[in-house]
Amino acid sequence: MTCEETKLLVADYVSGEMEGSDELAYEAHLDSCPSCRAETSRVDMLWKDLALLPREEPGGAVRGRFYDTLRAYRQGMDAVPQRRWPVWQMAAAAALLLVGIAAGYLVRPGREVAELREEVTSMRQLVALSLLQQQSASQRLRGVSWAYRAEPNDTEVLDALVTAVNHDTSVNVRLAAVDALHTFAASPATRRAIVESLPRQNTPLVQVALIDLLVDLKEREGTKELRALTVGDSVNDGVKQRALWALEKLQ
Amino acid sequence: MKKLLMMTTLTALASFPLRAQEKLTVPFRDPSMPRQLVVDAMLGAIQVTGYNGQEVIVESTAGTEGPFRGPRGKQTPVPPGMKRIGGNNAGLDVTEENNTVRISTGLWSARSDVKVQVPVQTSVRVKTMTGQQVRIENVNGEIEVENMNGEVNVLNVSGSVVAHSANGKITVSLNNAAIDKPMSFSTMNGDIDVTLPAAMKANLVMKTENGGIFTDFDMQIDSTARAPKVVDNRPKGGRFSIRSDRATHATINGGGPEIQFTSFQGNILIHKK
Repeated sequence: MTCEETKLLVADYVSGEMEGSDELAYEAHLDSCPSCRAETSRVDMLWKDLALLPREEPGGAVRGRFYDTLRAYRQGMDAVPQRRWPVWQMAAAAALLLVGIAAGYLVRPGREVAELREEVTSMRQLVALSLLQQQSASQRLRGVSWAYRAEPNDTEVLDALVTAVNHDTSVNVRLAAVDALHTFAASPATRRAIVESLPRQNTPLVQVALIDLLVDLKEREGTKELRALTVGDSVNDGVKQRALWALEKLQ
Repeated sequence: MKKLLMMTTLTALASFPLRAQEKLTVPFRDPSMPRQLVVDAMLGAIQVTGYNGQEVIVESTAGTEGPFRGPRGKQTPVPPGMKRIGGNNAGLDVTEENNTVRISTGLWSARSDVKVQVPVQTSVRVKTMTGQQVRIENVNGEIEVENMNGEVNVLNVSGSVVAHSANGKITVSLNNAAIDKPMSFSTMNGDIDVTLPAAMKANLVMKTENGGIFTDFDMQIDSTARAPKVVDNRPKGGRFSIRSDRATHATINGGGPEIQFTSFQGNILIHKK
């Protein structure tokens, strides 16, 4: 066994998951190679120390999201038909289909369609929420574009977007998230979030986007914050002018 | 699970101090896994170039040249007849953790220009306050750049690019675009000059307040996206609003992932490669 192979197998060795013959070969190599011996005992110690680590307990949000995912998955599983097709079953299926069509005419789209729609909505929500937490800015931009597909009253997605507007490390993601807030414009929570976010921002482009959004929504609550922007020392000139323009528009 | 935990713990932190005018080579822990370079510098020009190798090579010209920058970035000229031999922490910190090499400078360290060479297949994230330019060349991966005051140049790269400059111009030339990765370019006062592969499929959203939008692509302008949208929530006790989108929406080659261009004062130029 070479040093290279030993490196690949060290985890198996210390965890006791190795076949008998491999284990013998591994130990034979250790006898002849001090550096691998040292590495193995180092990993072995680490392995034992790991057992002493306290268990990580998931926070409440993780638990909630996990059960949401599980539920969505189960609903999906229930909808999958069993795939066994003997001839008589085909006949039964055809008969059922007729009954179904008849029932469809009688009942019209009802509960099931509503359930299906709900399922799709919750899947969209999950996709948007999980993408918004990714490390890569490009993935978070994708999360923002999924947020457009959420229901306008989806407070979880709205919260995630507001968090992105206020805290995302990438200016470009913050900008995209401000644009996406248009989708939630009907909710008073959105309007409050926009007004509250205005004094927190220090990137000119994001400030301009928020000002434009206030004007689009004809939101008059933000006049105090807008005035503050027109006199701020460190405020960009373009932003000052925009804030003045907005104050005029909103009068 | 336990094994996975162990492997991640094994790739623990390694730190490499770098003093002025030194050249440092940092290996990635696992060359077979995705690599990332993160540069977080306050002052000075930053250049990142892909090369045919497996390690990160960091060069810094930090040191005793040029005026001294004190607290709050105030410049103090070197007194006549004298030279500065130190007194301002000019060092860079270079660390490697889980295949991410991170380069950072202190908050008020002297101006230090940083030159980094990385393997071509590396994702790069650069954030800086500098008035100098950031230049990224010949890499293939996810690229993220933010430069508060200077230019951003991302040239001859493949993958995806997300770039912002508060006051500078953004120039990007992309050889191959990553499939299904959104991109975004934004600047307050500069132009955005982007060259895309001729066959690239994308949805473009372009917005400039005081500039023009120019292209040699055969763009399908979506005029319905510009039409004012009427939202009537009055039956539900809400408001009635009309929203006119300030952006121009278009598709190239039938459409694909979204690319956003946002400038306030500058022009937007989109070239076909």
